[in-house]
This record gives sequence, structure tokens and C-alpha cells, in this order.
Amino acid sequence: MKYIIPRIALRNLSRQKKRSFLLGGAIAFGIMIVTLINGFAGAFIENVSENFAYLMAGHVFVQGAEKTPSGKRLSVIRDDSIIFSAVRDSGLSYEFATKTSEVSASLFFEGKTIRQNLTGLDLATNLFLRERVVLRQGSWDAIGPDSIILSEKIASRLNVLPGDRITASFQTLTGQNNIADFTLAAISVDSSIIGSVMSYVDLAYINEAIGLKSGEYMALGFMLNDLKAAEAFASRLYTSMAGMGIQLFDRSANEEGSAATPFQAMIRTQRSEDWQGSRYSVYTIDDIVSQAKQIVVALDGASLIILLVLFAIVMIGINNTFRMVMYERIKEIGTMRAVGVQRKEIRSLFLNEALFLALGGAVAGLVLALIAMSILSLIDFGMNTPAFMIMKNGHLSFFVPPLRAVFNVVIIAALTLLAAYFPAKAAAKMEPAVALRTAK
Amino acid sequence: MTKNSMNTQSIVGRRASLLAIIAITLLSLGIPLGAQGLSIPEAEKILIELDELGNFPGKDYSALYTIVSEKPGEKQSVSQVRVFRRDERKQFTILVMLPEVNKGQGYLREDDNVWFYDPTSRKFSHSSVKENLQNSEAKNSDFTASSLKDDYSIQSIAEGKLGQYPVWILELKAKNNEVPYELLKLHIRKDRTMLLKEEAFSVNGRLMRTTLYPKYVSLENKLLPSQILIVDEINKGEKSQISMAEQTVEKLPDKVFTKAFLEQVNR
Repeated sequence: MKYIIPRIALRNLSRQKKRSFLLGGAIAFGIMIVTLINGFAGAFIENVSENFAYLMAGHVFVQGAEKTPSGKRLSVIRDDSIIFSAVRDSGLSYEFATKTSEVSASLFFEGKTIRQNLTGLDLATNLFLRERVVLRQGSWDAIGPDSIILSEKIASRLNVLPGDRITASFQTLTGQNNIADFTLAAISVDSSIIGSVMSYVDLAYINEAIGLKSGEYMALGFMLNDLKAAEAFASRLYTSMAGMGIQLFDRSANEEGSAATPFQAMIRTQRSEDWQGSRYSVYTIDDIVSQAKQIVVALDGASLIILLVLFAIVMIGINNTFRMVMYERIKEIGTMRAVGVQRKEIRSLFLNEALFLALGGAVAGLVLALIAMSILSLIDFGMNTPAFMIMKNGHLSFFVPPLRAVFNVVIIAALTLLAAYFPAKAAAKMEPAVALRTAK
Repeated sequence: MTKNSMNTQSIVGRRASLLAIIAITLLSLGIPLGAQGLSIPEAEKILIELDELGNFPGKDYSALYTIVSEKPGEKQSVSQVRVFRRDERKQFTILVMLPEVNKGQGYLREDDNVWFYDPTSRKFSHSSVKENLQNSEAKNSDFTASSLKDDYSIQSIAEGKLGQYPVWILELKAKNNEVPYELLKLHIRKDRTMLLKEEAFSVNGRLMRTTLYPKYVSLENKLLPSQILIVDEINKGEKSQISMAEQTVEKLPDKVFTKAFLEQVNR
């Protein structure tokens, strides 16, 4: 007797296959759309962070800053031994550290000009760069002190080939104009829209040109084994550096209600505050891309609104269908009531039907979403696409947080039960004699 | 080593020491080192005169600048800006009039801060006197008061001829890092203090920009350039010609040097 009502409910659903399929299909479609949005949002932040980490060669960064008497802010790390000693003291481990200096330059070659960011790295020893940057022309063996590596797009716009001499005009650390000549050592495959505007030069060479001494540079990046460990690494490094009495910029400088990222807030502080000597900022890739989190929140919010709108429509359908079902089965209800079936059992029969419909539709929707995700993630959009930053190696990627999926199913079940509740209540209230003599 | 060669060496050594003593004495007396008739203090006086010619202490200055820029492989572009200066407060406002697409953009300087105003976004962003104005070879610093005497020290003095004019050629080195060019070479007319040519060099001593001043006008008993030709020496073929008109030193309202002014002219 215990399972008789659910069994009748299932039988009733199978009696009207077409109607059940259409109602369940509507629920499945809604769940599929919402799950796809959730899946995209779930992978979004990780993809953006990882892609930025790849471009910036690090998950956690330390930047040095000095302020001149005239108020000019200089980005420089003069002595990194204190940073490495803080890393050692706090027992932190990392895959590798990258020292970089960056300058915005105009590149000139035979009447052609282009604006580029020159990233100075130790080209001879930086394995990360050698692993990640694929060369189309030239070779790593051709790397010399004045070498430059340009992306295909930039090399083509300047019309240069390996071996050509390129002149660069830029400003020194303190803002004076300077010029340096570079030899094009290699042309790299365009890894992305952002990657294609980055050119690599030797750290020592560019440092000398911008007025930095040997051993000095602008930023130190730590690449970790796992992106998720970045915040803990940065916090411990910050604490350790603070413990050593090193001047630091506040990591929580973000103003209340401001749209700025923690990184932007830190830069603003550096502009407004005065200090003497070297002062350091510690930040993670998450601090830079934290505005992307707002996109995730917006996507999740939008998916919830879509879920509610779709189901408001589906609820009207379910409500109408169950009212129709009630009139179709009016004699059956009368008979059941006449043989002793209680009012609450009639109500629960209708509600069981609605629940099975919701769960069936939801499971089908989740399965359809998984199939759609698998197919979409197989498409190779290539690395040179404007959407590169939100993709994983040129492919769309998805991650649906399990709790989010459960939440969606619960919402669907609750709304479907609500839609079926009033017809169910009306059916339960029906007097057996009235029901039996009602003509359809 | 023979006795003769040792004698020759000692004579050469004594001569070198004597020459060094003479050079130091001449320098300390302010007597010219490289050119006949112009000592370092006199050359410094010329720099002060040049600064005074371009500055209007206690007065405001405004003018309409037309900038014609040429770049290899590109069409000639014409920009027009109205420049307002108040030198005693280190202020300037530059309002872009042409091209139409950039109309309403502006630069505002107060002390060492320079802001750029974009009427499309209605936002101000930080800029610098070292930045180029619009797409031309002119830098914002070309529209500021001249401070050669304060910013540069004289390295050498030479004589030469530029066209038909005998000129002093002064090589200057930056005293601070607030100026865009580390080294300057000025060609100044001998008969009257007029800058005819300025060559600007990078930190590592390479010629980056040549500026020619072919035409002058007189304003308030001062000679002001009315035409400037700026040649980019790195990217050959890239040059800008600036023509000044409507130059005046009449008093300007204070609001001209405010952010509100740039916002207001765009309403």
C-alpha cells in the first residue's frame, strides 16, 4: 500500500506519453540552458586566471616601488635577497620564479612603426618561456644579448625577418627618452590576442637601456603548482615580509564600494601615499582579474533569472495540464474516492505525478547539458581568438558546481509541485457522488 | 728604452700638464673653452634670455597652433589646438579643435600633474609633459614655459653657421630627470638671441629629434617662433610643422585652467 500511490502516478504519466514527454521536455530544456550557463561561469574564473598567469609568468607577484623627491613613482626591485629570504623563512615552495622588467616602446623598421610592450626576461635560462612560446622562425640558439622575439603578427606588420635590426624608442625608468637596437632572433606563433602584443627581450639589455643596474628589475613572479594555492602563498609571503620589517603596501587597499580591483586600488595608493626607500606590493593573479568574479556573479544571477522566467512559463503549462487531467479523470477520481481512497491520497497522487515529471525532466536536462558541454568543448576555436582568455587551450571548458546543480533541481521540483498543488487540491476536494455523475 | 725617447716622453708629459693647468685656469676665469669669445657664464646668460623669450611671468599666453603631421605611408594629418598658458603657476590648458573626431579633447597641467580629458567617456586620465600631443611629433612639453637654465648644464660651446646665420652651438646635459631629453644641442643666432635649431638626443646619445624655428614674430617686445618644424630622426620621413597664430598675452579667466573648463566647453 505504501508505494501504491507513486506507482499509480508513474502509470498515469506513461498513459499520456506525448503529454508527459512535452512537459518533461520543457523542464529538461530549461535545466539544460541554466546548467550550460552555470557550467560556463564555473570554469570562467579559473580559465581567465590561468591564462593571465601564463601571460604574466606567475601566480603570485612582488613588485618594488620607490618615490623620488619630485613625487615620481619608480617601479624597481633593487635587492631581491630579502624577498627570497622571506620565501625561505615561511617554508613556501614554488615551481620557478621569473624576474621581469617591462617597458612600452615604439618599434621602427624601414619606415614602419608599431607600439609594443617589451618584456625583459632572462632569455638564456627562462625555461617557462621556452616551453610555452612556440617559434615559427629562428631558434633559441640564436638568442644573444640584444635579441628580440616578436609574434608573427607584429613581425609581419613590421615586415621583418630573423637577423633584421629593429630600433626601439622608449622611456627610461625616470621618463627620459632613449633608444636601443635589437636583433630579431626569432618569430613566435601568435598564442593569443594579448600574447601577440608582447615581445620578449633580454632582461639585462633592457634594464641597462631603461637605467636599471645589474641585478635590478621591476617585478618578481612566482609560478606555483596550483593556481588555488596562490592566495595562501601570497598571504604567508606578505606576513613573512612584514615580520622582517620590510615596507609593504596594504593588500586590502580596495575601497568599499569601489569598482577597482585590489591591484588597481594598490596602484592608486602608491600614487597618493609618500614613503622613503623601497616599498613592496604582493599580489596574486586573482587580485588582477578579480573583476572577472563580478562577471561570474552576473552570469550566475542571469542564469537564476532565466531559470525562474522559463519555469514561470512551464508552471502555467503544468497548472493548465493538471487542471485538464483532473477533468479527464473525474470519474476515476470519483471511483477511487468511492472505494475508500482518502482525499490526501488523491492530492498526493497528483503531486507525485508532478514530482516525477520534474525529476525526470531535470535528470534529462542535466544529461543533455553534459552532452552539449562535451560537444562544445571538442570545438577548437584556436589560440588566436578574442575569446582566448576565457578558454582553456582554445577550447570552451565547463564546470558545474554539484551544489549548484542540486539547487537547480530543487527549485524545479518545488515550482512544479507548486504549479500542480492547486489542481491536486481541487481534485482531492471532490465529492465521490458528484464526481461519478459528472459527464465529461 | 733610449735616453732620447725618455726625454721626448718627459717633454710631452710636461706639455700636457701645462696645457691642463692653462685649461683649468681659463675655465675658472670663465674664459671660453671651445669657441672664440663666449664663456660659460655668457652662454648661460643666453640660455636665460631664451627662457625669458618663451616665458611670460605675470601674464597669460594663448595662441592657436596648427600642426601638420607627415608619416611615411600615411596621409598628411592636420590638428589644431588652442593653447592657454599661465607660466607663473606652471599651468596650461590645451584644447583640441581639429580633427573633428578629436574635437573637445584636452590637456590640463597644474604644477607637475598633467591630465588628459576625453569628452566621449567624460573622464580625465593621467598624462605627462613627455607625451606626444595627438598623433604629432610635438610633445606636451613643447607648449610649456622654457626652463633651459634650470634643467640643463652647458657641456660645450662651439661656433658654426646655419644657412646664412653665424650661430653659437651649445651642447647641454640634463641636470635632473624631469626633462624628456638627456642631451640637447642648440643653434642660436649670434647677432640676436634667437633659437634656430634644436637637436634632442637620447640618454645613450643618439639623435632623436631635430626642431627648426624658421619664422618668428614679435609679441610684447619679445621674439616668439611662429613656425616650428619637428623632424623625427628615428623614423625617417616623420615630421610635424607647427604654425602659431592669434598669439596674445591678454589676461585669461582663472576657470580656463580647471577641469570644469574642459568639461564645460564640451557641453
